[in-house]
Amino acid sequence: MDDNRTTNRALLRHVLLPTLFLTAALLGGVRVEASSRAILFVAPPLVALVLALMLLSLFARARLVEFGRWLSAENGAVENVSHALTLLALFFASAQAFNSVLPEAGLPRWMFSAFFLWTLWQNQFSSFDVRRLLRSLAALFGTAFVVKHMLLASLYEPGGGWLKRLAGAALEGVTLGTLEGPAYANSTGYISFFTLALYACGLFLLPASPAAETVEDDGRAAQLARSLRLLPARERALVIEELSRGAEKEEERL
Amino acid sequence: MRQRLIQWLGIAWTILYAALVVWLYAAAPQSIAEVKTQASVAAGTYEVDRARFDAGRELFLREQYAAARAEWERADPARRDARTQFYVAYSFYRQGWGRVYSDDALFRQGLEAADRALALSADAPLSVEDPELKIHSAAELRAELEHGLERTADDFNPLKVFRERK
Repeated sequence: MDDNRTTNRALLRHVLLPTLFLTAALLGGVRVEASSRAILFVAPPLVALVLALMLLSLFARARLVEFGRWLSAENGAVENVSHALTLLALFFASAQAFNSVLPEAGLPRWMFSAFFLWTLWQNQFSSFDVRRLLRSLAALFGTAFVVKHMLLASLYEPGGGWLKRLAGAALEGVTLGTLEGPAYANSTGYISFFTLALYACGLFLLPASPAAETVEDDGRAAQLARSLRLLPARERALVIEELSRGAEKEEERL
Repeated sequence: MRQRLIQWLGIAWTILYAALVVWLYAAAPQSIAEVKTQASVAAGTYEVDRARFDAGRELFLREQYAAARAEWERADPARRDARTQFYVAYSFYRQGWGRVYSDDALFRQGLEAADRALALSADAPLSVEDPELKIHSAAELRAELEHGLERTADDFNPLKVFRERK
């Protein structure tokens, strides 16, 4: 039983996760041209690489990924190489996830890059809340996806989509030049959706640390104790009181 | 032991898959068919479709130049065959050649194809032995196309109308 678990965990870390992340990295830059249906491969722009780096640093800060344990002197050399490749795949998948939702050109691209940069930069220094970070990132990715693949795609459509007609009627005589961009087929949106789903799936499966479960549990307890020690005495007492109250309730129920 | 095997398998698989991703972005094939073509070029198994090439040559000899080029495009989709590119350049030359003046746009495309042919035969000079052609080397064809694009006083020579198409 334990042997199976260890094997499955190893397969997840060394094979499945790199596959998921590399597939996301592959599909993140794929676009399908509207007129010729030609497949285009768009390499990640510099801003996507910067955003990916900032996101990984936030993952490290939130302890969602403990880089020190993924690449540790305690691991074997081969294991470290494999882990490094997995983390590298995570980096490129992150960059391509940004690439797939960032608008291609003009004002929308500039705006969304600024929003992403602001959110990630702010979280590097402000008081940290993992849930808030994940919520704001999910909202930002979701909004960027909707804006790029639904609203802007309709604007860029060669025949003029519903939004273009609506904007044309509302802003008669005003140029839409700042919103111009390449026209892509609807399948580009589906590919982007699949990319984000794969990326989210990879993040969900990614363990914070590659250590085995028992070691991981011990580590977690030790880490909690370390965090408790860092709290001010009054807050520490409050936590301990709350925990013992919870334990008493549990005993009464039993 | 099994752990070690999985780690090695993971490393090999990740490197292979990452190489495929990088290759796709570098080669940028535009369709699934092009993926196959580019893969065969990378593997060194790429070959020109001989039947399509011959069909293109038949059209070329009947002066159906655009149709001939379409056949050669299908015969050599990766544009990796020097001989086919030579014929493509020749078709641009013959179509663009005029007794009074030449079509610069066609000659320019011909020049590009001749350059491709020359680049693909960098090891040895390309010479095509075809009795239906008057120019047999890619370098000569390139010079002819280049000459057609130049503006010289000779362009105003009325005797130019008696020159022969090669």
